[in-house]
Parts: sequence; C-alpha cells; structure tokens
Amino acid sequence: MLPSDPGGVTFSERRVQTPNTLSPLLFRKKPAAVEQLRDEEIVVELQHRMDAERFGVLYDRYSTKVFQKCMAMTRNNEIAKDLTHDIFLKAFVNLSKFDHRSKFGTWLYSITHNYCLDHLRKDQKHRTTEVEDDHGVEDGAEDRYEAELLAIRTDRLPMVLEAMDPADRGILLMKYQDELSVKDMMEVLGVGESAVKMRTMRARERALVLYHQLFPEEP
Amino acid sequence: MSANPFKIIRSTDLPPAHLRGEVLGSVKFVMMLMRMLQLFVADPSAALFERVRILGSRSSRAGKGPGSDDPTNEPTRT
Repeated sequence: MLPSDPGGVTFSERRVQTPNTLSPLLFRKKPAAVEQLRDEEIVVELQHRMDAERFGVLYDRYSTKVFQKCMAMTRNNEIAKDLTHDIFLKAFVNLSKFDHRSKFGTWLYSITHNYCLDHLRKDQKHRTTEVEDDHGVEDGAEDRYEAELLAIRTDRLPMVLEAMDPADRGILLMKYQDELSVKDMMEVLGVGESAVKMRTMRARERALVLYHQLFPEEP
Repeated sequence: MSANPFKIIRSTDLPPAHLRGEVLGSVKFVMMLMRMLQLFVADPSAALFERVRILGSRSSRAGKGPGSDDPTNEPTRT
C-alpha cells in the first residue's frame, strides 16, 4: 500500500477502476462546437470533407433569408420553397468554387439572386412591360427619382414590382429592401461600380414610368 | 420622409420546417453520387485495379490449411 493513499487503494488499483471507455473522453481535446464557428470556417471544413450535418448549420443560418428573398422575387410561397431547396443544393455542389474572397453570405445571396432571375426568365407566363429608356437624365434627377420611388404607396409597390423586368426588380430589392452596399452589389451582379449605379438608376426610372402607367391619376 | 415601402412589403414568412429535412436529404444523396463518381467514373481503370481485391478461398485467407502454399490463392495485389 502507498503511504500517501489514505483510502487503502493503490494507484494501480485506482487506474483499474477507471472505465476504459472514459479515459479517452477525458483527455481528448474537445472540438469547437460547429454552431460557434464562423460561416467561412464551416465552409473550409466542408471543402475538405463533405458533411450534411455541418451544411445543416449553414442552412439554419441562412434559410430564412434565402426563402424571403425568393418570396420577394416570386411572390409565391410554393415556388419560393422549391427555389430555396434548389439554391441550397446548388450552393452545396459549388462549395468547392467558393474562393473566400467575399463573405459566404454574399456568395449565397449571389446564387439566390441569379437562380431566382433564371427561374423568372424561364417562366413563360411571366409578363414584363417594356419601357423605353433611351433618354438622358438631367442633374439632380437621381435624388428626385429616389425620393419619388420611396414615396410610392405600400399597397401599390408590389404591383409595380410585379410588372417590372425581373432583373430590374432584383436590383431595386437588392438596393432598397436588402440594403446591399455598392460593393456587395458589384459582387452579386459581377459588374463594376459604374455599371451598378447605372443599372440602379435605370431600374428606378423604369419603376417610376411603370408606376405612372399603372396609376395615371397620381401626380 | 415616410418609411421605406420596400421594407414594409418585405415578406416575413418563414421557410416550412420540413424543408430542412428535404434539403439535407438531397445533400446526402448528392454526396453519395459524388462519391460514386469519384470512385468509378473519374478513373475507371484505376478504380477497377485499386479498389477491387479478389480474395482467395477461406483457407488461404486464414494462412493455414492445405491450399495456403498455393500462390494462386493469394489475394490479388496491385
């Protein structure tokens, strides 16, 4: 018996009493919980090893945003559900192409936007109203257009958006609903800063022209 | 200036709860397809010779028995 052991149990006997299954659990370094990892860290792990449950964490973080974006673009719950499913599947298949130059959220937003646009363009039933845009814009008109656009009545705005070209609608939603920065819009649309500003301006103008066509009584 | 109408009309619907299971189910199916693709389609000849092992009879695998000296009973090595 060891003199320092008052219990009357030797060190070796105590080791024997420890369950074999417990010791590795006690000494193994606990891995960080997946929920605590940043999006990009989870993506790095997924790029090395595919794991549906880890992808589920990303789904939990972004499913509402993606679904609501699809709803904003399509205004149809069933279509939005199908698109959300397909978008996450597409994101999973293309995870290896994510190069970490942007945030994962922006990358996923880009997939969402483009997938919704593709869907709307393929939809033959979708009607768009052509609006001529071969006119210049005088100084100060941009601010006035923006103020006018944001003054549209809430009950009429969905009708104007519905009548718009999907690409223009997507840009307006990106700018005024999701409040993306110009830099993020550049990333999503894959164009330069001036092109983003020009497209936004054109989309605003077309929305206002449509608004006045749909509701001519408004000043 | 009044509130941003784009914000007001924003959808507040949540994705249906069963959608998560559907998405992860599809993800698992895609994972399986990708693994099959890696295993057989990427390099079929290598897959055939590296992944497939023809084992001999039970006696030769045990390393003892009457046929254990017969080299044809050895597992095929690539």
